[in-house]
Amino acid sequence: MAIYETIFILDSLIPPKDIETTIQKYSAIITENGGKVREVDKWGKRRLAYEIQKKQYGFYVAIEFEGPGTIPRLLEADFNYNDKVLRFLTYRYDKNKLKAIQMDQDKAKAKKAESEPVVNPVKEDAMDDTISEISEEETETKDVAVEETESVESIEEPEEVSEEFPDAEEEGEEEKS
Amino acid sequence: MKVKRKRTCYFEENGIVYIDFKDEKLLRRFLTEQGKIIPRHISGTSAKYQRQLATAVKRARHLALLPYVADFTR
Repeated sequence: MAIYETIFILDSLIPPKDIETTIQKYSAIITENGGKVREVDKWGKRRLAYEIQKKQYGFYVAIEFEGPGTIPRLLEADFNYNDKVLRFLTYRYDKNKLKAIQMDQDKAKAKKAESEPVVNPVKEDAMDDTISEISEEETETKDVAVEETESVESIEEPEEVSEEFPDAEEEGEEEKS
Repeated sequence: MKVKRKRTCYFEENGIVYIDFKDEKLLRRFLTEQGKIIPRHISGTSAKYQRQLATAVKRARHLALLPYVADFTR
């Protein structure tokens, strides 16, 4: 079964309670028709890039699910009927997205494998209580892996900004030549 | 004489496999101020990724993450 993601924009003026109920409603449509909800991601209230139905803001919700190909049609039928939904987009994960997910998983695994040998030599002194400490190590390595990914993200962002400058310089030079 | 500068594909250099349309900041690098997609002979993006980029931008526009037209002369 394929993995899909549906993103919809709700009117930001409706009460938070109604947002919850609509999310539950669409989750129910997915599960009732043989699908499985993988993740519900509320992006929250965001400014729209352009006005939709005279509205400047919208509440974004993303639901990732897997199931048969009939579900997107059912969801769309309901989205069209619902006035609270300003926009919606349902798409199937293509081979590139699946490859990217696979790569992320492999990386996480590799990082875990790397961080374990680093932790082990420190604990060599207390080899007697290995059984009790193995469980501790596992929890620690998980923590380390999470920290590492977070730090990588934080480093990458400023790089992107700095890389924009060479482009601007190149363009300037061309004009001179 | 115009010095030819070889432009390289941003996605190939950075090892990006999938261009996510939710990453609005990244997509904006490949748009003009008006919100048009920059042609690949200027940005240097490889054909493989230009195709992916186009669908990503179009999805982002549909969800109002990016503008269809950004006109500043108003």
